[in-house]
Amino acid sequence: MRKIPMAVSVTCAAALLSGVMALAGTWHPADLLARLTPAAMRSPLAPFSAVFPTDPAFQFTPPEPGSYALNRFKPAPNGAVLTTDGSSFQLHDLFDGKITLVSFVYLTCGDVNGCPLAFSTLYDIHDASAQLPGLRDDVQLMTISFDPERDTIEAIAAFSHPVTSDPASALKLDWQVLTTADTASLQPLLDGFGQVVDRGGADDQISHLLRMYLVDRSGMIRNVYGLGLIDPRLLMGDVETLLLEEQGA
Amino acid sequence: MNRREFGGLTAATALAMAGPFRAFADETCQSPYMPKITGQEEFVYVWTLGVEGMGDEQDKMVTVDLRPGSPTRGEVIHSLSVGGRNEAHHGGFSADRRYFWTGGLDTNRIFIFDIHSDPAAPKLHKVIETFVTDSGGVVGPHTFFALPGSMMITGLSNQDDHGGRTALVEYNDDGDYVATYWMPTADDMQGAVAVDGAVADGYGYDIRALIRKNIMLTSSFTGWSNYMMDFGQMLQDAEAMKRFGNSMVLWDLHTRQPRKVFNVPGAPLEVRFPWGPNANYAFSTTALTSQLWLIYEDDHGEWQAKSVADIGNPEDIPLPVDISIAADDQTLWVNSFMDGKTRLFDISDPHHPSQIYEKTIDRQVNMVSQSWDGKRVYFSSSLLANWDKKGDDDVQYLRAYNWDGKELVEDFNIDFYAAGLGRAHIMRFGSSALYSA
Repeated sequence: MRKIPMAVSVTCAAALLSGVMALAGTWHPADLLARLTPAAMRSPLAPFSAVFPTDPAFQFTPPEPGSYALNRFKPAPNGAVLTTDGSSFQLHDLFDGKITLVSFVYLTCGDVNGCPLAFSTLYDIHDASAQLPGLRDDVQLMTISFDPERDTIEAIAAFSHPVTSDPASALKLDWQVLTTADTASLQPLLDGFGQVVDRGGADDQISHLLRMYLVDRSGMIRNVYGLGLIDPRLLMGDVETLLLEEQGA
Repeated sequence: MNRREFGGLTAATALAMAGPFRAFADETCQSPYMPKITGQEEFVYVWTLGVEGMGDEQDKMVTVDLRPGSPTRGEVIHSLSVGGRNEAHHGGFSADRRYFWTGGLDTNRIFIFDIHSDPAAPKLHKVIETFVTDSGGVVGPHTFFALPGSMMITGLSNQDDHGGRTALVEYNDDGDYVATYWMPTADDMQGAVAVDGAVADGYGYDIRALIRKNIMLTSSFTGWSNYMMDFGQMLQDAEAMKRFGNSMVLWDLHTRQPRKVFNVPGAPLEVRFPWGPNANYAFSTTALTSQLWLIYEDDHGEWQAKSVADIGNPEDIPLPVDISIAADDQTLWVNSFMDGKTRLFDISDPHHPSQIYEKTIDRQVNMVSQSWDGKRVYFSSSLLANWDKKGDDDVQYLRAYNWDGKELVEDFNIDFYAAGLGRAHIMRFGSSALYSA
């Protein structure tokens, strides 16, 4: 059982993501370009999941995008969230008609199979997206804190700094890091997505199940990922499948 | 932190949940997505069939106290009747382990119990009355296998002919219908390939998944017209005896598409994957041919199926039913209904299992559940209302044993008939330690 520090160090939070960014990729953009076939380079969609190297944890060949249908699980919930500049928005407005990969985290999570896994996977996707700049018009990443008391606006802003200050950010997918005013306003989002967060005990402990959610342009949850399936090849294969579905493929 | 740093972890660790939801004293063989109980299991939930003329005659969720030192340890501490008899059968927890989904094979009703608000006293949270219409004609909700955000339910039958052709049905965690995936048939293979002349019969029964390989495995049993028939009558009905499944199907977990159909004659029932990081195989047993089957990935990366051992004397038709792999993947409990025996197989070489122990539990036995450390083994008695033995042989119980590595020593025994409860079927463990709130 892990204890949560009572005060968040924004410096530490930013350092966490910096660390993730520094360590996450074992491939180089040049490697990525080498993987792209000429045909793939003409289409921004087909090679996207293929740019990720096979991880030993995922011992399978990912299914071909578009060769399967994605279910419609349920509508994504709506509710008030706060952005890194302190502005308040309704979550649905921030979806902005894009395909969105949503994850719930808390910034001080140190469990290797928890939030850092989500961070590093999202970073892999974010970094690779620089090679496919057109994709940012259709797809975005979204991270919502489930620890609003500690993950303040200042904390999420500091956490996001390595992304927002990235010189190549204009080419990459938008990555919105959000928090909420309090746990009362957060709860409908957790309930609506089905993200279990267990708070309790005298030590102010938080435990959670690692989940990621694929939300389509209409705000419908189209897939739910748990540990063992947080594979960027699957995630982006599903994004491609949604894009192909829109094209009537 | 680097995602790729996790590549070398063991499967069990890699599939552990974030937060405090860690092993290591839980029932084996359930969905790897689920959080595990830390420490001793506190309760066992027994999904129990009502019996006409006994007690309130209704199906019920029975809670037995397993807490060491509790003054009610080994006793029924809660019972929740659900209204009527539904042919209560199997059930499984949701992936967040807050709800216990159970099914009725006859009425097709699905009961979802809240087990986290008060683990000692489950509450009925929701009843799904529309399984058949939701699914497009699937009958007999059987196995409930938790996926992230959803529940995959195997069917046993269909509305058109009440035979064995059936499907997988997916609901989201709110209990809303998501999708139906019909089993492949010889006439519609859905892209699947038949291995060694297998004939896809479209039957279904159990389901398990090996996530790191992105596969699901399903087995096959029989349809409503058989499982609701009197057992003795069915055995004498040559046509009915032809209506059993003879196949297992390998699916793509992510796409829910069938990939391979294996020939596994004689109604393969429970499917169990081990936990080891290099354990690329599963076991099943065949009810009618009394064999232990291995479904495995060969040296060329191809999945195959073969019989690897007999269970008892197949000519006696001991009728293997539930099985349970120990968490260290070294042993396998196999129950056989007709002779009331449990057998322990050494499966350290999965291609050459060998029986190392057996014990008669009673005149009939069906389900087996063992704790994660393998030291506590629980047995229950009922197979199906019309298939359970008759007269004095119809004994209904939950029996707890301690396993010291050599001998099963009885701990306690609850006579479900004497208690007026009914027929004890599937068991699942609970613990308040899973929920801090």
